[in-house]
Amino acid sequence: MAQFLEQLINGLVLGGIYALIAVGYTMVYGIIQLINFAHGEIFMFGAYFSFVLVAVLQVPFWVALPICMLLCAGMGVAMDIIAYRPLRKAPRLSALITAIGMSLALQNLARIIWGARQRTFPEESIPVIFLSENAIPLPGGADLPYRDLFIILFAAVLMILLNRLIYLTKIGKAMRACAQNPVAANLMGIQTNRVIAVAFAIGSALGAVAGVMVGLREVIEPTMGYYKGVAAFAAAVLGGIGNVTGAMIGGLLIGLAEVLGAGYISSGYRLAIAYIIMIAVILIRPSGLFGKTTGTRA
Amino acid sequence: MMRDTLTPKNIILCGLICFLPGLTYLLDYTIQWLSFQDISVPTSIPSGDYLLRIIVQAGIYMLLAVGLNIVCGFTGLLDLGYVGFYLVGGYTAGLLMTRLGVNYWLVLPIAVLNGALWGLLRGAPTLRLTGDYFAIVTFGFAELLFRIIKNWTWLIGGPNGFVHDIPSPTLFGITLDQNWHNYYHILILLALVVLFTYRLQHSRVGRAWIAIREDEQAAESMGINLSRYKSLAFAVSAAVGALGGAFFAQFRINLSATAFEFWESIFILCMVVLGGMGGIKSSIIGAAILASLGEILRISLPYQLSGMRYLVFGIILIVLMRFRPGGLIKGA
Repeated sequence: MAQFLEQLINGLVLGGIYALIAVGYTMVYGIIQLINFAHGEIFMFGAYFSFVLVAVLQVPFWVALPICMLLCAGMGVAMDIIAYRPLRKAPRLSALITAIGMSLALQNLARIIWGARQRTFPEESIPVIFLSENAIPLPGGADLPYRDLFIILFAAVLMILLNRLIYLTKIGKAMRACAQNPVAANLMGIQTNRVIAVAFAIGSALGAVAGVMVGLREVIEPTMGYYKGVAAFAAAVLGGIGNVTGAMIGGLLIGLAEVLGAGYISSGYRLAIAYIIMIAVILIRPSGLFGKTTGTRA
Repeated sequence: MMRDTLTPKNIILCGLICFLPGLTYLLDYTIQWLSFQDISVPTSIPSGDYLLRIIVQAGIYMLLAVGLNIVCGFTGLLDLGYVGFYLVGGYTAGLLMTRLGVNYWLVLPIAVLNGALWGLLRGAPTLRLTGDYFAIVTFGFAELLFRIIKNWTWLIGGPNGFVHDIPSPTLFGITLDQNWHNYYHILILLALVVLFTYRLQHSRVGRAWIAIREDEQAAESMGINLSRYKSLAFAVSAAVGALGGAFFAQFRINLSATAFEFWESIFILCMVVLGGMGGIKSSIIGAAILASLGEILRISLPYQLSGMRYLVFGIILIVLMRFRPGGLIKGA
């Protein structure tokens, strides 16, 4: 029972992190139908930025977090302007290949800058309450570390805020309009490129948060963006790509499936579970759990 | 047609290709002679044998690029998991030869057939997918195979997909374990594959593939059976990949799962894109450029910067798509 409870907590935390990353994939896909392969790399850079700020520059954790979000948002927008914007009218495959190239380049850029070895935050640099020994004892012998509780709650709050942003604000309305029909939205006076940039910025900022959260719990390494990015993409597909609420729920489901699968089947197949779910969803129900059918997705 | 191909330039090129191992041995002798004369040779010059080994590896990449081009270039579907078939071929050959002691020349067709089978297996459910959904499924498929090989210790006999001591093939009592043996070996395989693909491209089948690439609906209304021709493309492409894998297994002697990671797929894709999708010649040239560029970067960069070559490949992809989406070679 205690083991199950701990796995459940791990699954929820991982799910929250996946949800934060998945939103970035899904927002961009919803508007420009591009699988932004490099989004996982932004998440990885977020983790490294926080590492540099907290461990090297000795910036307090709570100051470092928003700085990371800003840096990553800037990175996302820059990526859009440099690589994707010139290809808006090009065939879809060109943009996809560009995204893959971007992912490859950024991952190896991180490897050159920070080296391939795994990094963790030094214990003295993160708030005391986030150390793994500070936990709430749960009935049955399991522990709920404050760190995990914080990640779950913080992810949930950000998700709710994002949801409100999309459905209640003007920019959210513009985003939904662009997702439905970019040309018509443009004719209505919406600056499509600006809306896309905002989508990149928000997705990247949330990715940065996920990166910092992973840094708190696990290790930071150049390949983390690829592995976690793919799982998060699977989450976006599961929830129905283009659907922000779906991405949140998909993230939770993939996180739980992965942790429980690794715990009870085999840890070597941990990532395989996300791939299997992703392939199954695409083959059986390409619109995902919550997506609406939009005809062929060429 | 004969008159066009028999130009002096092509004859010289053919001669160069046929006698390339001789040149590398000449390099070896020169280095040896120089060091006997007490002239220090800069260490950055690799030995001829090593050079030949790299050339053989480049030959494998050319084979793979030609194979990938069948799906990516001819039918216009982005395959992000081509390395999966390479893996299937490699492990079919490796396991059959080490576990069951099957002769290499028998293993080769088995690996090719097995590759084609896997190509059909993967192709069947993805027939109605296009664009990025197809790309994602192919990617997931290759990653799954990679994970299975990495973790299935019972089948492989070791962790991380490690198969060791794959025997070299013998021909007329000669063991083909020298690098120049491998050179002619891959040269013949490549020539056969190129001939086969070339004939296919200029046949009814090839025209059907290109019609599918240009406009699926129009092709179908012209009476092209989409599922049949797409399946054929998947099978042929996968068979070529598996052939490359089988050769790779006996060439490397030891197989490990790390040779079949996702980035390898991207590396091969990068070759096809660089040369220009849809052409056999351009795929081969793309493979030659990138394989040698990768090796040059690997030798010249210090170990800490080894990530640099993948950074360069990534930038190549981005810049190509931005400025020359058709690849380097025009009219291929």
